[in-house]
Amino acid sequence: MKKRLLFALVSMLLMLAVSACSGNSGAKNTGGSSGSGKEITVWAWDPNFNIAALQLAKEKYEAKHPDVKVNIVEYAQNDIVQKLNTGLNSGTTKGLPNIVLIEDYRAQNFLQAYPDAFRDMSDVIKPADFAEYKIGPTSLDGKQYGVPFDSGATGLYVRTDYLKQAGFTVDDLTNIDWNRYIEIGKKVKEKTGKDMLTQDPNDLGLIRMMAQSAGTWYLKDDGKTPNLADNPVIKEALETYKALFDANIVKMNSDWSQFLAAINNGDVATVPTGNWITPSIKAEASQSGKWAVVPTPRLANSKESVNASSLGGSSWYVLNMDGQDTAANFLAETFGSDAELYSQMLDKVGVIGSLKAASSGDAYDKSDDFFNGQKIYADFAKWTEEVPKVNYGLHTYAIEDILVVEVQNYLNGKDVDSVIRDAQAQAESQLQ
Amino acid sequence: MKKMIEKLSNQRLFSKLFIVMTASIVAVCLLTSLITIRMSERLFAETFSITNAKVLKQINTSLDSFNDSIVNAASYASQSGTIKTFLTGGEMDSVSMSKVYYRMSEQMKQLTSNINAYDVAVTITGMNGRSYSTDRAYWPVTEEQLAAAPLTVNTAAHPQRLMYQYDERQNEGETERYIIASKALVERTSGQLYGMLYISIREREFKQFYSNFTSTGNDVLVLDASGAIVSSNRPELIGRSAPELLEEAKEIESKKLNYKNGSVMGKERIILSNYLPSYNFYLVNLIDRQYTAGQIIDVRSVSLTCLGIIAAAMLVVFVISRRLTDSLTRLVRQMSMIAQKDFGNYITVSGSYEVRELGKAFNYMLDELNDYIRRLLDTQREQRNAELAALQRQINPHFLYNTLASIKMLVQKGSKEMAAETINALISLLQNTISNVSETVTIEQELENMKNYVFINHVRYGERIKVNYFVAPDCLQYEVPKLIIQPFIENAFFHAFNEKNEGTIYILVSKNDDSLVCEVVDNGDGMELTGETGPLPNPKSRRQLFTGIGIQNVNNRIKLLYGEPYGVSISSNKGEGTKVRIVLPLIAKSDEAGDRI
Repeated sequence: MKKRLLFALVSMLLMLAVSACSGNSGAKNTGGSSGSGKEITVWAWDPNFNIAALQLAKEKYEAKHPDVKVNIVEYAQNDIVQKLNTGLNSGTTKGLPNIVLIEDYRAQNFLQAYPDAFRDMSDVIKPADFAEYKIGPTSLDGKQYGVPFDSGATGLYVRTDYLKQAGFTVDDLTNIDWNRYIEIGKKVKEKTGKDMLTQDPNDLGLIRMMAQSAGTWYLKDDGKTPNLADNPVIKEALETYKALFDANIVKMNSDWSQFLAAINNGDVATVPTGNWITPSIKAEASQSGKWAVVPTPRLANSKESVNASSLGGSSWYVLNMDGQDTAANFLAETFGSDAELYSQMLDKVGVIGSLKAASSGDAYDKSDDFFNGQKIYADFAKWTEEVPKVNYGLHTYAIEDILVVEVQNYLNGKDVDSVIRDAQAQAESQLQ
Repeated sequence: MKKMIEKLSNQRLFSKLFIVMTASIVAVCLLTSLITIRMSERLFAETFSITNAKVLKQINTSLDSFNDSIVNAASYASQSGTIKTFLTGGEMDSVSMSKVYYRMSEQMKQLTSNINAYDVAVTITGMNGRSYSTDRAYWPVTEEQLAAAPLTVNTAAHPQRLMYQYDERQNEGETERYIIASKALVERTSGQLYGMLYISIREREFKQFYSNFTSTGNDVLVLDASGAIVSSNRPELIGRSAPELLEEAKEIESKKLNYKNGSVMGKERIILSNYLPSYNFYLVNLIDRQYTAGQIIDVRSVSLTCLGIIAAAMLVVFVISRRLTDSLTRLVRQMSMIAQKDFGNYITVSGSYEVRELGKAFNYMLDELNDYIRRLLDTQREQRNAELAALQRQINPHFLYNTLASIKMLVQKGSKEMAAETINALISLLQNTISNVSETVTIEQELENMKNYVFINHVRYGERIKVNYFVAPDCLQYEVPKLIIQPFIENAFFHAFNEKNEGTIYILVSKNDDSLVCEVVDNGDGMELTGETGPLPNPKSRRQLFTGIGIQNVNNRIKLLYGEPYGVSISSNKGEGTKVRIVLPLIAKSDEAGDRI
């Protein structure tokens, strides 16, 4: 009896030893890196502008919240759109960031296509704190989803030296219409050999600028119905666009970097675009003092058209996933309320924000030596207020894709009425 | 000290057994595990190289399909008139340019559809200075840098070939590594170079083709034809030159080996290699023998298990051999004490079967031995008894003759009564001596005999020696051997009074503790004794006057009958007399006592 007990004991011990040995190898890599720190990721484009502004916000926030780490990832805008669509379509937030920058044109499309994908920010920011024109694109059904960021207010950046060479002054370009612009452009090309502006045939930003300056859009106010065929403003915008090409004052570019290269290399005399280009223009320090900013040209025949428009402003969105509260807090404390941060961003980057509390102040009144001492921010702030409000609706880029093709047909001789009619028909059939 | 040595020598069997067992268990364990480890290592190397060869094939396949996409894109680009126009045309008016740029972008969309599955960027440069890129941020290289880059020069030197080359770019302080597929775009008829197509893939994307198959100790490297490492799952190796590895890869390729063992980068490794002709790269798989084998064969757990088994086996061996040898040792010790207790040391039968049998046999032997000894003793005693009985029955004829002569004298003197009394005493004495068959008689009877004997002696030799009896009344019924006191009285009569003419003999019988003490004390001549209470002196005269029993016999007889504690002792001083002390056991009168003879 005693002997048997001993045997049982020994064999049990043995089994225990063996199992303990073999058990060891498996469990080595448990105990993950859970850590107490929170980490959020932000996606944006344009290192000179959006990324630079983000860096400022990140520094300020991380100093206040040492437990939070903000990762800024730069992608081209198209990449962001594609990745976001892919991710949200597949129904998973895996691989997506906590915060993403979305152009106002696309905002409604995302908000409506993926209703639960974004966090309602109504509880952390007050829509009334922001410029009114930003609220439409960034909210849906009375819920504020986006934290409005930059004003897309446009201006006409002009090379004073080239103008002077062609016999023009800055005043000659102030508050002009596009027809006058074309005339001046022809002269400039004649005198200096430089093109007036650079365009990517795949990007109709110029036409959007013209449309908004007259308070109209590709889509009707409901945001869904294409508004091309019977829209005289669109027709005039297309005609003006063709006139620019016919005048042979347009330099081609195929992408953002060529666009910047054309500006920085001094290939063009003017740049009609959003104020977010300011830092990129200033990046070429050798051109300091050679630039000025004047109001955007208006459409000659459209009565509603004013010398102010908007292009490509964007806003921040928080994705409905792990870490959303940290991300919301980050936005609320930085882009959502911090007037001081905005004045820093204006000062260091050139960001004109849409936070009302930050829309005035010393930074706005600062004169900029690069622009010959012009108080460009005060000017932009003024123009911002004049920008006609439009509803970008859901399908801005879908219609633009159609228009790009039609515009090529138009440039190559198609009749303008058929162009807008065909575009309208295509848009209607596509967007049903 | 002595005990310890004894204990140690007692344990000698156990320690020998235990040491031998332990040594063999350890040896068997070590050998088995060594052989097992060796065998599994070899087996592991074989299987690992087989599976990894398959893995390499698979990587090869996915690399080939990547290459196919690139080739498709490249041939699309080289055949596209639009791209050629974009790259060769001069400046025209804005409308025409718009068309060129627009159609270029359309063409590029077509082109990239071939390679959309991969995260790559396409850059096209033309001799006219124009360029197009699907993503300039992906491969941030300026046109000037690109024009001067060795990869452009190499590509231009081999316009027919699609080349894969390594490139790295600094981006915000971080080095980003690329593998660039490049192809010169050439006018088919004239052979004129008009542009260059670059399809760039980040090394970390390229790595995806194989990184799933790698693990620590199982590395994949991609070598270009110059031996430079262009891609690896180990980032620190990328960009380095590894000519010795290139040699190994070439050898494997030329000899069509499955794998090769070699020492690369300071470690013993299994090298597998696969040549990628479309890339002109070598795909090399390095397996760190020691590490990966160590992962699979956990030497620590094997040795721990071994130790556990050894410890357990030793415990079992210890317990079992201890039990085994303990019973043997005990048996040996008991056997060695056999002579100490008159063969009465029986062995406790315990332990294993063998030992128990041994013990039983030994005890049986002791039984037999004791039986024989007992029988021998019985025989001897019987013989002695027979001898004594014979002696006892030998009535000395002289005693009869002298006594009868004394009686005749009495009759002649006319003392009739005295003569009759003497005859009576003689008759009674003879009757008790010869006819009483029982060996023992009561003190009372013995006393009677004494008195008869003394009476006859008084008749014969006169009454100068007196005899007094002091017998405790409670002793009368105890049994004593017949004629046990008579020889001492006779001795005192005839030898104690040679110098003195008269004296007294006292006969005392008393009970002392558990023994009966009979003393014959005379106040005669006494004698010189050698010791204080030495052995009985040999009387000068061998001749016994009454029966054959002498005093020497008495002592032997008592010891024979009752054992060592009993017997006769004598003390005597010259001129003071002699004292004989007979110690006997108390034997109550019984019928059985008589049956012994």
